Amino acid sequence: MAEVRPLTCAGCGLLCDDVILRSDDDGAHLEPPCRLGAEWFSARMYPPAGTPAATVDGQAAEVDVALARAAELLRGARRPLVHGFDGATVEDARAALALADHLGALVATERLDGPWPGGPAIALRGVSTATLGEIRDRSRVVVIWREDPETTHPRLLERLGLDGGSERTLVVVDDADTATTSRADVWLRWPRERDLEALVTLHALQRGLAVGGGDLGGLYERLAVVPHAAFIYGPGLIAGAGGQRRALALHELVRALSHDRHVVTLELPRAPGTRSADDVLAWQAGYAGKVDFALGHPELVTATEPLEDVDATLLIESGPAGGLVAGPGVEVWIRTAAAGVAASGTMHRLDGVPLTVQAPIENGAPTAAALLTRLLDEVQR
Amino acid sequence: MSAIRIAGGRVHDPANDVDGEIRDVCLNGGKVVADVGPEARRIDARGMVVLAGGVDIHAHIAGPKVNAARRLTPEERRGDPVDRTELLRSGTGGVVPSTFTTGYRYSLLGYTTVVEAAAPPLAARHVLAELRDTPMIDKLFLILMGNNQVLFELIRQGGDRVKDAVAWWLEATGGYGVKLVNPGGIERFKQDNGNVHSLDDEVTGFGVTPRQVLESIGGAVDDLGLPHPVHVHANNLGVAGNADTTLDTMRTLAGRQAHFAHLQFHSYGGKPGGTMRSRAPELVEFLAGHPEITADVGQVMFGPAVTMTADGPVSAVLRDLGGDKWLNHDTEVETGCGIVPYTYRAGSYVHALQWGIGLELFLLGRDPWQVMLSTDHPNGGSFLSYPKLIRLLMDRAYREEEMARANQRAIGRTALLDGLDREYTLNEIAIITRAGPARRLGLSDKGHLGVGADADVTIYHDRADREEMFATPRYVIKGGEVVVEDGELRRTEDGLLLSARAGFDPDVRGVLEPLFGERYTVSFEHYPVLDPALREPAQVVEAGR
Repeated sequence: MAEVRPLTCAGCGLLCDDVILRSDDDGAHLEPPCRLGAEWFSARMYPPAGTPAATVDGQAAEVDVALARAAELLRGARRPLVHGFDGATVEDARAALALADHLGALVATERLDGPWPGGPAIALRGVSTATLGEIRDRSRVVVIWREDPETTHPRLLERLGLDGGSERTLVVVDDADTATTSRADVWLRWPRERDLEALVTLHALQRGLAVGGGDLGGLYERLAVVPHAAFIYGPGLIAGAGGQRRALALHELVRALSHDRHVVTLELPRAPGTRSADDVLAWQAGYAGKVDFALGHPELVTATEPLEDVDATLLIESGPAGGLVAGPGVEVWIRTAAAGVAASGTMHRLDGVPLTVQAPIENGAPTAAALLTRLLDEVQR
Repeated sequence: MSAIRIAGGRVHDPANDVDGEIRDVCLNGGKVVADVGPEARRIDARGMVVLAGGVDIHAHIAGPKVNAARRLTPEERRGDPVDRTELLRSGTGGVVPSTFTTGYRYSLLGYTTVVEAAAPPLAARHVLAELRDTPMIDKLFLILMGNNQVLFELIRQGGDRVKDAVAWWLEATGGYGVKLVNPGGIERFKQDNGNVHSLDDEVTGFGVTPRQVLESIGGAVDDLGLPHPVHVHANNLGVAGNADTTLDTMRTLAGRQAHFAHLQFHSYGGKPGGTMRSRAPELVEFLAGHPEITADVGQVMFGPAVTMTADGPVSAVLRDLGGDKWLNHDTEVETGCGIVPYTYRAGSYVHALQWGIGLELFLLGRDPWQVMLSTDHPNGGSFLSYPKLIRLLMDRAYREEEMARANQRAIGRTALLDGLDREYTLNEIAIITRAGPARRLGLSDKGHLGVGADADVTIYHDRADREEMFATPRYVIKGGEVVVEDGELRRTEDGLLLSARAGFDPDVRGVLEPLFGERYTVSFEHYPVLDPALREPAQVVEAGR
């Protein structure tokens, strides 16, 4: 394929929109280079040969037949679940939520086996956030807390102007030796199980309720003398047991530090479509994260419920052979065009900035939004 | 679209000098027409009041700021679920409703056009997508330009590129007008929690002052002849003594067309940090001598609210005054955002004073075309409180009852106890809720019932209890279709996006592109919103009409 320039890469939540894409027999190549992005494009531009448009119980099927079967499954379900959204566009999410509202489904804007999003902690006390350019141009100290963006968001440091030579300080808090710790100006080796203690200690130092603090004291001193600082975090801090408490401790710390300087945070989601779907869910339902439409209206799900009663699942996938999957089991699968590769649309960058993703190739597959709209029509028949 | 004859209603159409005449209003093809045939649907409006559909000139209903408020306040909506029906999507209400519910409830209130008053241009795609999910009403949004670093640079350079840039930005986003919020102050806040405190403070690092921003951008909007003048949220919102800044801002813009948002929040006397008092009478006097300047009031209503503003430093103050929750979001190059849920209490001196100042602006104002109804939804309270506010203006006895509930020290420092017995007429209510806002927005087909107007009509039972009357219209007609009947939605409509367009020198793109490259993390090429799915269905209003 000839060069296509410039376009938006949906390989991670950064949605870099300055990407020049070339492809040859070795796969996709990006300029500026990005390993993750190149792999992401390669996998989606060249799906396995012979991939059918749809399957029912593992057998190739016409899309219309698969849609009818999926509609039958969902129509008959008492407790349907709609989740996934890894590579979803705003348009996909709008269509999915129209269907979920009609079905009275449970909606989760991440895969349910994924990390618990930090949203509930934000609803307790709030948050201070900023777009990438604000952090790049203003933050004198950037603290990355237990994330490895060099692996998960490979151009993050470059886009934040932290790719060497600046007079700013990159602090990485982690006890694992990662690709990102090797880029740090200060690597604070800190055990994961003591993250809450660290955040509370920093807060206590800010309030003058603690002195010293060892390595944490050093970090606090750095933060205390700059006019602008940023914390970057993600599932490494807030996933798992106690995640909400750690998220809350981070936001309380940032709020306290903000009295004397400007401090912001940036959350790194694992999937590029999460932010888009979460935003659409928030504006359509009034709640983000996990929402239950079973009672005929949206209810916020705040507990990590086991979901044992779910009897049908609609997964909006974005893997190399991305598609819609209706269960239980994988009974129906329908191929969709990957947003940013074979489908255009709007996606929200991890900092909330909405961008258009383009379709550099055409592979004949429908968008998830189009399929979900047809599926709603089928369900309503 | 069927023809309709609204027969025998008492019509208040101040834009056409109709004040309570019993007459028919005919609709066909989505427009008001002179007559319709006998086959037309007949709505018997005898004993009812017929007004044009309501036009809200200043509210916050869509975009990243509003959506962040939804995330921040889930508890605020738990008690107000909205069930899906065969016709309607489900949602949640409260002070910051979900999108579908926002559209439904505005329609149920008799409003047919709403302005989203503060949209970051960088987030235009988000704003547009939310507005697409806000049915029933026509909608337009104002883009935030008072803290834009690229414009600061153009202002500093001088010349007339600012005008071209403003027109380019409107084309790039689908916006309708230009909003200035705390010019220069938000940029300072994002640097190190600073602010500007007078119109002549320099914005550190940019070599411009708020006064230069007002003059340059306000002048550009005026020169372009945009349908709506520059929409100003002045500096020092909420600060005791800020009336000086407000008057200075008005004088700076005097001679140009300008609209001042939520004037109540900018009408305070006293000294910063000291006891606040009212200076509403002085502002009313100034307005009386400057017909080129209009305002909406931004009335506060006792009860729950959610303060949300691009004016981040204001939110930081509310946070420090005991705000339980606080959300801040900084948008590169352009603006900021602060959100603090809030409750206005009748017993509080400050809150009661704010309430009283709002009423002073309404009741002392001589020209209702100049002072329009808003609560700066949801900052001063929900748009659902408009009927109560209308009753406060129309019913002196009721107003006095409410005054008696409020902090008396505060009420005593307003003109409300000085024999201010004015009661708004229905015609005046029609002016401040539809005719005035529509005229100020340059929407010549809205806010009135003359032939050729959009067939947006609200019909009310003529009840003595004006709150009940305005809360439950008998019929609402949008674009010629009956969408509300007997307090229930009977039909859904998407509503149009209204955008404004002005010509500009295309060479300005060559000026803007390198400035974008230096400052944004989004490429210049990808900044404009081109997707028809986001920008349509739309109606474009040309500048200079």
